[in-house]
Amino acid sequence: MSVSTPTLQTQPSAVDRPGSAQQNEVTRLLPPWLLVTVTVLLCAAVLIPIVYIAMASLNSDIGVASGEFWPSSWTLSNYSTIWTSVGLANGLMNSLIVAGSTAVVSAAFSIGTAFVLVRYQFRGRRTILRLLLGFQSIPGTLIVLPLFVLFSSSATYLGLQVIGTRWGLFVTYLTFSLPFSTWVMVTYLRGLPKELEEAARIDGATNLGVLTRIILPLSWPGLIVSAIFAFLPGWNDVLFASVMTRPDTQTAAVALQIFSSATEGGALPQYGQMMAAALVSAAPVVLIYMFFQKYLVGGLTSGGVK
Amino acid sequence: MTTASNPAPDTRLAASAASRGSGPAPAPDADGNNPEPGSGTRRGLSERNRPLWMLIPGGVLMIVVIVVPLVLGVYISFLDLDQYSLRQWLSAPFVGVANYIEAITQSGILRSVWLSVSYSALATIVTLPLGIAAAVATQNKYPGRALVRSIFLIPYVLPGFVVATVWRTMFQPSGVISITLHHMGIDPGLFLNGPNTYWVLVFVQIWSSWPFIYLLALSGLQSVDHEVHEAAALDGALWWTKLRYVIFPYLRGPISLAILIGMLNHINNFTLPFVLFGLPAPNDIEVLPYLTYATSFESFRFGLSAGMAVVSLILVAIPLFIYLRAVKLDDAETPGGRK
Repeated sequence: MSVSTPTLQTQPSAVDRPGSAQQNEVTRLLPPWLLVTVTVLLCAAVLIPIVYIAMASLNSDIGVASGEFWPSSWTLSNYSTIWTSVGLANGLMNSLIVAGSTAVVSAAFSIGTAFVLVRYQFRGRRTILRLLLGFQSIPGTLIVLPLFVLFSSSATYLGLQVIGTRWGLFVTYLTFSLPFSTWVMVTYLRGLPKELEEAARIDGATNLGVLTRIILPLSWPGLIVSAIFAFLPGWNDVLFASVMTRPDTQTAAVALQIFSSATEGGALPQYGQMMAAALVSAAPVVLIYMFFQKYLVGGLTSGGVK
Repeated sequence: MTTASNPAPDTRLAASAASRGSGPAPAPDADGNNPEPGSGTRRGLSERNRPLWMLIPGGVLMIVVIVVPLVLGVYISFLDLDQYSLRQWLSAPFVGVANYIEAITQSGILRSVWLSVSYSALATIVTLPLGIAAAVATQNKYPGRALVRSIFLIPYVLPGFVVATVWRTMFQPSGVISITLHHMGIDPGLFLNGPNTYWVLVFVQIWSSWPFIYLLALSGLQSVDHEVHEAAALDGALWWTKLRYVIFPYLRGPISLAILIGMLNHINNFTLPFVLFGLPAPNDIEVLPYLTYATSFESFRFGLSAGMAVVSLILVAIPLFIYLRAVKLDDAETPGGRK
């Protein structure tokens, strides 16, 4: 998708220069006043909470708790305490290890599968494609339980402690990332021209040779997108991580969730730190999106999964 | 685009199956009828030399991490499994459909199903006009459009646990929302407890998921040819008429897809209610994933919980089935995006 979206967008330019005044007049969809109204309202709806996070993260707990938007006293201390009080340093490291290795493994396994699915016809091909999409909608609650049972019993049956380790989480995240990574690679490889492969075959390349010498070098953008989409569910997950981790292996998501519910009882919740930690753990994801926006947007809509 | 092999994979499969079944005679016939010249030889090559073994690594891994847990999950739903038998689940007593009967008659699952469905539908319906308006507003170029498009994506790309933590802080008693409403003379009561929780959940879900509709609507708008705009301009169509009768028909495909996927995502969303409200769940937002989770990891009734999870699979299967039927597997980059 990332390859063919540009062709979609360049279609109008063959007719006329896009961006020229006349062009805009013809393709205009909304009168200016309405366009401005819609844009301003939606931007405000998005940005007010975002600005609020930033403000609250610089505020004192009492300030946040009493409903201030602009801090009455500014402080940066939240950003220095969260690394140990929330356990964010540990959490971010675990998130990075688990989600990162999921991303690498998913992307690596996706390319071979996708290559066969795109370039060859065989019985069951469409079923596999459907399954790749369908697997993404399996309720997480249906998978978390059997995995938890399997991992708990592995201590009994195999003498292998899986619950509480990063391995268990890694396997779990593969469940959701593999099908989607493969689907992303399928849509990417579809956009690659066949001619190079055919030329290589005439020169005597084997199937494996075509994959490793022709497809792989051309697929880096697709692989990166595929890896990012495998990375994100792991980074964002709370369900599995809340069940399968110990304090020393918990991810940033769980660290934040535990911190925010633990401070509920009795004492004043440490809102400032919560907001600072929320901002810090969202930052990598938002930066990835902004940086790769052009490529990622196609993937978002192609499988429809976050 | 794989031009040669894609137009009619079904008939092609049928043709190759037929040729395998009844000898070589029908095969050239099928190829002769093919409108695409040269595809016969290409297919011949593909059929003789298909590296299907390349499916094995990914396939085996997927079977291990997806199919095995799925089957085991269904099996557990027939067991009486609790925290004591957990570690020896192979010897847990088999109780047949008892878990399902208990789930339906005693556990409040029907209410959870209703909450899940109604909240998902409500959130999806409200996100529709927002997403479409955003797409229509950013379709034409203007200075700063790239920035606006990035801003529109923010709620969707923020991790769910961050969205929930932030709104939880804003919605707390005497938090910024309560205070602001109080200054405006409105006293809404508590947000994170009691009947308001349902509306808070719907609201936050809308805030975080409308950009998805926006993205799909945008892909639909990009499929509108320039000639269509010109024709509408020549006819002197007013903006509303043009939108309603010329542009919106192009959005029907992507939007129906967005509705289905939106419903699926909302029904399966565990993170948002869990982080927003914590355990134990307020009664009014005990959606299906929440109930299933609490049954497992609060009451430790694993068998019963697996039964509930299977029920949620059945619930999800309905929109999923429609989606998989409608989706174009072979050509469109954005399935359903182009009609």
